[in-house]
Amino acid sequence: MNSRMRELRESRGWSQGELATRLGVSRQTINAIETGKYDPSLPLAFGMAAEFTLPIEAIFFPEATR
Amino acid sequence: MNPRTSRLLTRCFLTALAYVATTWLAVWLLRHALSDAAPLLRALVALLPVIPIALVIRTLVRMVLAGDELQQRIDLQAIAIAAVAVSLGTLTLSWLLTAAVVTFPARQAMVWVFPFLWIVYGFARAWAARRYR
Repeated sequence: MNSRMRELRESRGWSQGELATRLGVSRQTINAIETGKYDPSLPLAFGMAAEFTLPIEAIFFPEATR
Repeated sequence: MNPRTSRLLTRCFLTALAYVATTWLAVWLLRHALSDAAPLLRALVALLPVIPIALVIRTLVRMVLAGDELQQRIDLQAIAIAAVAVSLGTLTLSWLLTAAVVTFPARQAMVWVFPFLWIVYGFARAWAARRYR
Protein backbone atom coordinates (compact mmCIF):
# COMPACT_ATOMS: atom_id res chain seq x y z
CA MET A 1 0.00 0.00 0.00
CA ASN A 2 1.35 3.40 -0.99
CA SER A 3 0.39 6.70 0.52
CA ARG A 4 0.79 10.44 0.20
CA MET A 5 1.41 10.71 3.89
CA ARG A 6 4.89 12.18 3.72
CA GLU A 7 3.79 14.78 1.19
CA LEU A 8 0.70 15.72 3.20
CA ARG A 9 2.62 15.82 6.48
CA GLU A 10 5.38 18.04 5.09
CA SER A 11 2.87 20.38 3.46
CA ARG A 12 1.46 21.04 6.94
CA GLY A 13 4.92 21.50 8.45
CA TRP A 14 4.56 18.56 10.83
CA SER A 15 7.42 16.34 11.85
CA GLN A 16 6.93 12.58 12.05
CA GLY A 17 6.99 12.87 15.83
CA GLU A 18 4.34 15.57 15.83
CA LEU A 19 2.03 13.58 13.57
CA ALA A 20 2.64 10.50 15.73
CA THR A 21 1.60 12.45 18.82
CA ARG A 22 -1.54 13.74 17.09
CA LEU A 23 -2.51 10.19 16.14
CA GLY A 24 -1.46 8.55 19.42
CA VAL A 25 1.08 6.23 17.81
CA SER A 26 4.87 6.01 17.77
CA ARG A 27 7.14 7.84 15.34
CA GLN A 28 8.29 4.42 14.18
CA THR A 29 4.75 3.66 13.01
CA ILE A 30 4.52 6.89 11.03
CA ASN A 31 7.87 6.20 9.38
CA ALA A 32 6.88 2.62 8.52
CA ILE A 33 3.62 3.81 6.92
CA GLU A 34 5.38 6.53 4.92
CA THR A 35 7.97 4.08 3.59
CA GLY A 36 5.28 1.55 2.70
CA LYS A 37 6.64 -1.03 5.14
CA TYR A 38 3.43 -1.13 7.18
CA ASP A 39 -0.27 -0.76 6.34
CA PRO A 40 -2.27 0.98 9.10
CA SER A 41 -5.36 -0.51 10.67
CA LEU A 42 -8.73 0.90 9.68
CA PRO A 43 -9.14 3.01 12.85
CA LEU A 44 -5.68 4.49 12.36
CA ALA A 45 -6.35 5.17 8.68
CA PHE A 46 -9.57 6.98 9.60
CA GLY A 47 -7.64 8.93 12.23
CA MET A 48 -5.15 10.01 9.58
CA ALA A 49 -7.95 11.01 7.25
CA ALA A 50 -9.43 13.15 10.02
CA GLU A 51 -6.09 14.83 10.73
CA PHE A 52 -5.53 15.64 7.08
CA THR A 53 -9.25 16.41 6.49
CA LEU A 54 -9.16 14.21 3.42
CA PRO A 55 -10.93 10.95 2.52
CA ILE A 56 -8.90 7.78 3.00
CA GLU A 57 -8.80 7.19 -0.75
CA ALA A 58 -7.00 10.52 -1.18
CA ILE A 59 -4.24 9.37 1.17
CA PHE A 60 -3.79 5.64 0.51
CA PHE A 61 -3.85 3.70 -2.73
CA PRO A 62 -2.79 0.23 -3.88
CA GLU A 63 0.69 -0.12 -5.34
CA ALA A 64 -0.55 -0.95 -8.83
CA THR A 65 -2.24 2.39 -9.32
CA ARG A 66 0.76 4.54 -8.27
CA MET B 1 10.76 6.80 24.01
CA ASN B 2 7.70 8.24 25.72
CA PRO B 3 7.82 8.93 29.48
CA ARG B 4 5.38 6.12 30.31
CA THR B 5 7.51 3.51 28.55
CA SER B 6 10.60 4.93 30.22
CA ARG B 7 8.97 4.58 33.66
CA LEU B 8 7.91 1.02 32.89
CA LEU B 9 11.43 0.11 31.76
CA THR B 10 12.93 1.62 34.93
CA ARG B 11 10.45 -0.34 37.04
CA CYS B 12 11.32 -3.48 35.10
CA PHE B 13 15.04 -2.95 35.68
CA LEU B 14 14.62 -2.35 39.41
CA THR B 15 12.42 -5.42 39.72
CA ALA B 16 15.04 -7.48 37.89
CA LEU B 17 17.57 -6.29 40.46
CA ALA B 18 15.15 -7.36 43.19
CA TYR B 19 14.97 -10.76 41.51
CA VAL B 20 18.75 -11.14 41.66
CA ALA B 21 18.78 -10.04 45.31
CA THR B 22 16.00 -12.41 46.38
CA THR B 23 17.57 -15.27 44.46
CA TRP B 24 20.90 -14.70 46.19
CA LEU B 25 19.13 -14.42 49.56
CA ALA B 26 17.11 -17.59 48.96
CA VAL B 27 20.17 -19.61 47.93
CA TRP B 28 22.17 -18.34 50.91
CA LEU B 29 19.36 -19.12 53.37
CA LEU B 30 18.80 -22.59 51.94
CA ARG B 31 22.49 -23.44 52.09
CA HIS B 32 23.46 -21.89 55.41
CA ALA B 33 20.49 -21.21 57.62
CA LEU B 34 17.72 -23.56 56.55
CA SER B 35 19.57 -26.70 55.54
CA ASP B 36 17.73 -28.66 58.24
CA ALA B 37 14.46 -26.74 58.13
CA ALA B 38 11.05 -28.18 57.36
CA PRO B 39 10.34 -28.82 53.66
CA LEU B 40 7.47 -26.30 53.61
CA LEU B 41 9.71 -23.50 54.89
CA ARG B 42 12.44 -24.45 52.42
CA ALA B 43 9.90 -24.43 49.59
CA LEU B 44 8.62 -20.98 50.58
CA VAL B 45 12.13 -19.55 50.71
CA ALA B 46 13.06 -21.24 47.41
CA LEU B 47 10.05 -19.58 45.76
CA LEU B 48 10.88 -16.05 47.01
CA PRO B 49 12.33 -15.01 43.59
CA VAL B 50 8.95 -15.75 42.01
CA ILE B 51 7.57 -12.52 43.51
CA PRO B 52 9.87 -10.08 41.65
CA ILE B 53 9.65 -12.25 38.52
CA ALA B 54 5.87 -11.97 38.63
CA LEU B 55 6.22 -8.17 38.90
CA VAL B 56 8.62 -8.13 35.93
CA ILE B 57 6.17 -10.14 33.85
CA ARG B 58 3.34 -7.81 34.86
CA THR B 59 5.42 -4.79 33.83
CA LEU B 60 6.38 -6.38 30.50
CA VAL B 61 2.76 -7.20 29.73
CA ARG B 62 1.78 -3.60 30.50
CA MET B 63 4.56 -2.38 28.19
CA VAL B 64 3.34 -4.58 25.35
CA LEU B 65 -0.27 -3.47 25.84
CA ALA B 66 0.85 0.18 25.97
CA GLY B 67 2.46 -0.10 22.55
CA ASP B 68 0.72 1.00 19.39
CA GLU B 69 -0.42 -1.41 16.66
CA LEU B 70 2.94 -1.69 14.93
CA GLN B 71 4.82 -2.18 18.21
CA GLN B 72 2.38 -4.92 19.24
CA ARG B 73 2.86 -6.62 15.87
CA ILE B 74 6.64 -6.51 16.36
CA ASP B 75 6.24 -7.90 19.90
CA LEU B 76 4.02 -10.70 18.60
CA GLN B 77 6.56 -11.69 15.95
CA ALA B 78 9.40 -11.54 18.48
CA ILE B 79 7.66 -13.67 21.12
CA ALA B 80 6.64 -16.21 18.47
CA ILE B 81 10.24 -16.54 17.28
CA ALA B 82 11.49 -16.80 20.87
CA ALA B 83 8.90 -19.45 21.75
CA VAL B 84 9.82 -21.57 18.71
CA ALA B 85 13.57 -21.18 19.29
CA VAL B 86 13.41 -22.03 23.00
CA SER B 87 11.01 -24.92 22.41
CA LEU B 88 13.30 -26.37 19.75
CA GLY B 89 16.33 -25.80 21.96
CA THR B 90 14.85 -27.55 24.98
CA LEU B 91 13.57 -30.44 22.88
CA THR B 92 16.98 -30.84 21.26
CA LEU B 93 18.71 -30.77 24.64
CA SER B 94 16.30 -33.34 26.06
CA TRP B 95 16.94 -35.72 23.14
CA LEU B 96 20.69 -35.30 23.50
CA LEU B 97 20.40 -35.94 27.24
CA THR B 98 18.30 -39.05 26.60
CA ALA B 99 20.91 -40.33 24.13
CA ALA B 100 23.63 -39.57 26.71
CA VAL B 101 25.45 -37.51 24.09
CA VAL B 102 25.70 -34.64 26.56
CA THR B 103 25.56 -34.57 30.31
CA PHE B 104 23.89 -31.54 31.83
CA PRO B 105 22.17 -31.26 35.21
CA ALA B 106 18.46 -30.97 34.46
CA ARG B 107 18.04 -28.63 37.40
CA GLN B 108 20.45 -26.11 35.84
CA ALA B 109 18.85 -26.53 32.42
CA MET B 110 15.44 -25.58 33.77
CA VAL B 111 16.80 -22.43 35.40
CA TRP B 112 18.11 -21.22 32.02
CA VAL B 113 14.86 -21.63 30.05
CA PHE B 114 13.31 -18.39 31.31
CA PRO B 115 16.32 -16.10 30.74
CA PHE B 116 17.05 -17.78 27.39
CA LEU B 117 13.48 -17.05 26.28
CA TRP B 118 13.88 -13.35 27.01
CA ILE B 119 17.36 -13.14 25.49
CA VAL B 120 16.06 -14.62 22.22
CA TYR B 121 13.03 -12.31 22.46
CA GLY B 122 15.37 -9.31 22.67
CA PHE B 123 17.29 -10.29 19.53
CA ALA B 124 14.11 -11.26 17.69
CA ARG B 125 12.46 -7.94 18.56
CA ALA B 126 15.45 -6.01 17.21
CA TRP B 127 15.32 -8.05 13.99
CA ALA B 128 11.54 -7.62 13.63
CA ALA B 129 11.74 -3.86 14.25
CA ARG B 130 14.39 -3.46 11.53
CA ARG B 131 11.98 -4.92 8.95
CA TYR B 132 9.74 -1.88 9.36
CA ARG B 133 12.42 0.79 9.03
